[in-house]
This record gives sequence, C-alpha cells and structure tokens, in this order.
Amino acid sequence: MIPMLMRLKVSRNPKGHGILLPVFLVWILLFALMLVLLPFVLLAALCTWRSGHGKWLLLTYPMLISVLFSLSGLHIEVEQPDENILIAFL
Amino acid sequence: MSDERKKILDMLQKGRITVEEAEKLLAALDSPDEAKSTVEKPACKYLRIMVEPGPQSEDRDRVNIRVPMKLIRAGLKFAAFVPKHAHASINQALHEKGIEMDFNQFTQQDIEDLVSQLSDLTVEVEGKEKVRICCE
Repeated sequence: MIPMLMRLKVSRNPKGHGILLPVFLVWILLFALMLVLLPFVLLAALCTWRSGHGKWLLLTYPMLISVLFSLSGLHIEVEQPDENILIAFL
Repeated sequence: MSDERKKILDMLQKGRITVEEAEKLLAALDSPDEAKSTVEKPACKYLRIMVEPGPQSEDRDRVNIRVPMKLIRAGLKFAAFVPKHAHASINQALHEKGIEMDFNQFTQQDIEDLVSQLSDLTVEVEGKEKVRICCE
C-alpha cells in the first residue's frame, strides 16, 4: 500500500508529535507527471533500444512505483540534545 | 503404520512424488518439531538499526531507523541500472575491502537470497556507541 501520510517532526521538544503531511497529494502530482512524460520515455526507449538502454528506460516506471509502494513503514528518527528529527511514512 | 506414512507411500506408488520427496516427507514425520521450526519461521518485515550512546560516550545522539524489507528489495533492483563499464570499478572496490565477489555474476536471485537471509541477522556492537542491527 502506498503511504498516504508522512509524519514529520523537527523540534527541540522530544515529546512533540510533529505534523502529518498528506503525501498522497505529492503522489497524485508525480503520477500525473509520469503520465505526461510517458510518451517521451517510450520514444526515447525506442530510439535507444538497440544500444540496450531502452530496456532500462522502460523499467524505470515499474521500479519507481515499486519503491513508492514500499515506503510504507519507513521510520527514521534522530535524537540530538538540541534537536529531534523524525520522518515516518504511514 | 500411521495414516500419514500410508498417504506418503500411496503417493509414491501412484507416482505423484519421487522417491527423494517421499524420503524427505518421511524424515519430516520422524522429526516433526524440527520440520515445524523451519516452516514456521516468522517472516522479517523490517530491518531495524539503532544507535545509542555508550556509557563513555560524550555524544548523546540517538538514531532509530526502521526500513521495510520491501523497500530494500525494491532498492536493490536498481543495481540493474549500474552501467557495465562500472562493474570493474565495483569489483576493484570490493576487492580492496576484502570481499572477493564478481559483480558481473550478481543476479536477481542472489539479491533475493541475500535479503531473505537477513531475517537471521542480528549485529550488536558495543563500543563508544551501542549499535544494534536486527530484523523484526
């Protein structure tokens, strides 16, 4: 499942909850951009097929989507004496 | 003779399984606990990396990272994008680190095997900082 929200916290208070960012809006924009770029990617893949790069250009899309769909559950937390940083995909 | 044994021998007689498969199944029946322990091994969902300050450390930083195994698998697929002319440099760098591995021979199946074996991984280092890497 693609993460819909991202919890972001950059604060001095370790008990702070941070903010919830609606990352699904970013995904909508990203997918729209990918859709717009798709004909150009297909054209570039066709042009570079003989050199062997075309295959990798075509694979970019499914690989990028698989990374986005795997982001759910990623949790990065760094606690320093003067600052706390938390990035978590929900 | 138990029903399970009869079933296995029946399947062997009807040619549904090979002699080797029958032998494995009969062996599993003889040691059911051992067989269960290999089958019921919980799947590793996340790779956890924790860094905590040790008793003698002046640095009070703490790091807690949880990476989904699916993300590691997806990220490792990007290894296919490494251009062929860079493979020699990678092999050289690995050799300098004491890792004798040929990157040209590194297949998708190897990556899958590597990631699946991570479930048994637990690394604990206690020095200036405590570092713990494990699967959960």
